[in-house]
Amino acid sequence: MANDAKDLLGNRLTADERELVDLYGRLKALCQRTDLPPVATANVKQAMVLLWNACNDLALLHEEPGCD
Amino acid sequence: MPATASSFWNPKTETLPKDQLRALQLAKLQRLVDRAWHRSPFHRRLYERAGVTPDRIRTLDDLRRLPFMTREDWMANQAEKPLFGDLITRPETDAIRYHLTSGTSGRQPLRVLDSRKDWSWITDMWCYGFWGFGIRPTDKVFFAFSYGSFIGFWGAHYCCEKLGCLTLASGNMTTEQRVKQIVELGVTVVCATPTYALRMGQTAEKMGIDLRRDGKVRRVVVSGEPAGSIPAVKKMIEDMWGGKCGDTAGMTEIGTIMIFECDHQPGGPHIIEDHFIEEVLDPDTGEPVPYGERGERVVTSFGRGFIPLLRYRTKDLVNKVPHTRCSCGRTGDIYEGGILGRVDDMKLIRGTNVYPRAVEAVVREHAQVEEFQIVIERKDNVQDEITVKVELKPGLDAEWPRLQQQLGKDLADAHEGLRFNVELCKQGELPRFELKAKRLQDLRPQY
Ligand SMILES: [Zn+2]
Repeated sequence: MANDAKDLLGNRLTADERELVDLYGRLKALCQRTDLPPVATANVKQAMVLLWNACNDLALLHEEPGCD
Repeated sequence: MPATASSFWNPKTETLPKDQLRALQLAKLQRLVDRAWHRSPFHRRLYERAGVTPDRIRTLDDLRRLPFMTREDWMANQAEKPLFGDLITRPETDAIRYHLTSGTSGRQPLRVLDSRKDWSWITDMWCYGFWGFGIRPTDKVFFAFSYGSFIGFWGAHYCCEKLGCLTLASGNMTTEQRVKQIVELGVTVVCATPTYALRMGQTAEKMGIDLRRDGKVRRVVVSGEPAGSIPAVKKMIEDMWGGKCGDTAGMTEIGTIMIFECDHQPGGPHIIEDHFIEEVLDPDTGEPVPYGERGERVVTSFGRGFIPLLRYRTKDLVNKVPHTRCSCGRTGDIYEGGILGRVDDMKLIRGTNVYPRAVEAVVREHAQVEEFQIVIERKDNVQDEITVKVELKPGLDAEWPRLQQQLGKDLADAHEGLRFNVELCKQGELPRFELKAKRLQDLRPQY
């Protein structure tokens, strides 16, 4: 993730915040995969929405992640 | 600093200076309006009719360009396009939760759907409240509530799991069994409606249990009734249980709580302003009322993706005061005294919405009934009781026992299992009306 990424208030993300957004993005990408076994897909979706909460609550992003 | 030492669930946004909080709300509002416009035909029609497009939302004041959303519109939309209307932004198959609440007319309930993300957000709003009221992972939390199709307390249960508390459900237990388990397990937090928190306290007394001495409860979290912010009721609960009593309030339309009382107990709950915009308006003119004046809550929620909720007329009466009323450091404003009542005739009975028209619709399905009256009373200053008094058509008295039973069942079925008392009156005992019938008597004290 780029070092100059900003939150919804225009503040540069801290290193911890960058890591949270990065993790969320990676989990979101995994959610889109159709070739993973159910055990991976369902658990990744659960993990993704929890990361979404952290990022959304911290005002790092505000979007619909788009899985069920 | 270890995470458990923080007084805030989310220190970054809960303590944001007001100008930054407003900027955050605007950023979220713009995204929400855009999504509602593109994904919800219901909202698109509302905005087109009002001549608003997403690019018109440039400042927070532009919120007022958006038309109001009403429960009546929502119900009509559901009726036109069963089961969920075209309000929803996604296919039903994307949902993982379905909940409902009683409607304004007849038997049609208000139906809501949530995605996995929505449900997780719903849980998170409760986390703001529970953490803010001092509940921590080492707590043992007991839910004295039976979960079902009504959304009440569901999110709170999941919240406690997320916090890492020992989370105890008790849907299958009697009041006595609940009291016993709370004491035996050393439960530290009890969640219930205010009415039920008192009832458990009274039951404990009858069982010879002194909850203050024998129990370890340090927090009672109440929800579902306005009584949770009435000082006299709070004091009774705190005296019985020996712990602080904190109020929360939410609604099915939002899916979760939007206000919670913090550990400082400033006399009302804080608004979770990074997730909601709560306007307080004159219910007749729709104009904003200043701090310290009663008005109607109008809510915009940034959380639920399935159902966009913008400028929703809640008909709840509130009195907003500045956040500085509390010394905790949160910058979310406060509803002094919690939810004060209803703008219209909807009645909240033990956590369930009751509309006179809906009751009438059920009663009128029974042709034997000639006249009826709904009486709401507060028993022992605490428990709300609803009674439907019935006069039968002449000569049908023999049918009463069966009708009484059936009517009680039908009314409960239409109201998430709420118990109605059904009583027989003598011929001519009830008032008759020519115009504007007043069949509802609310005898509860008004605050
Ligand atoms: Zn506070």
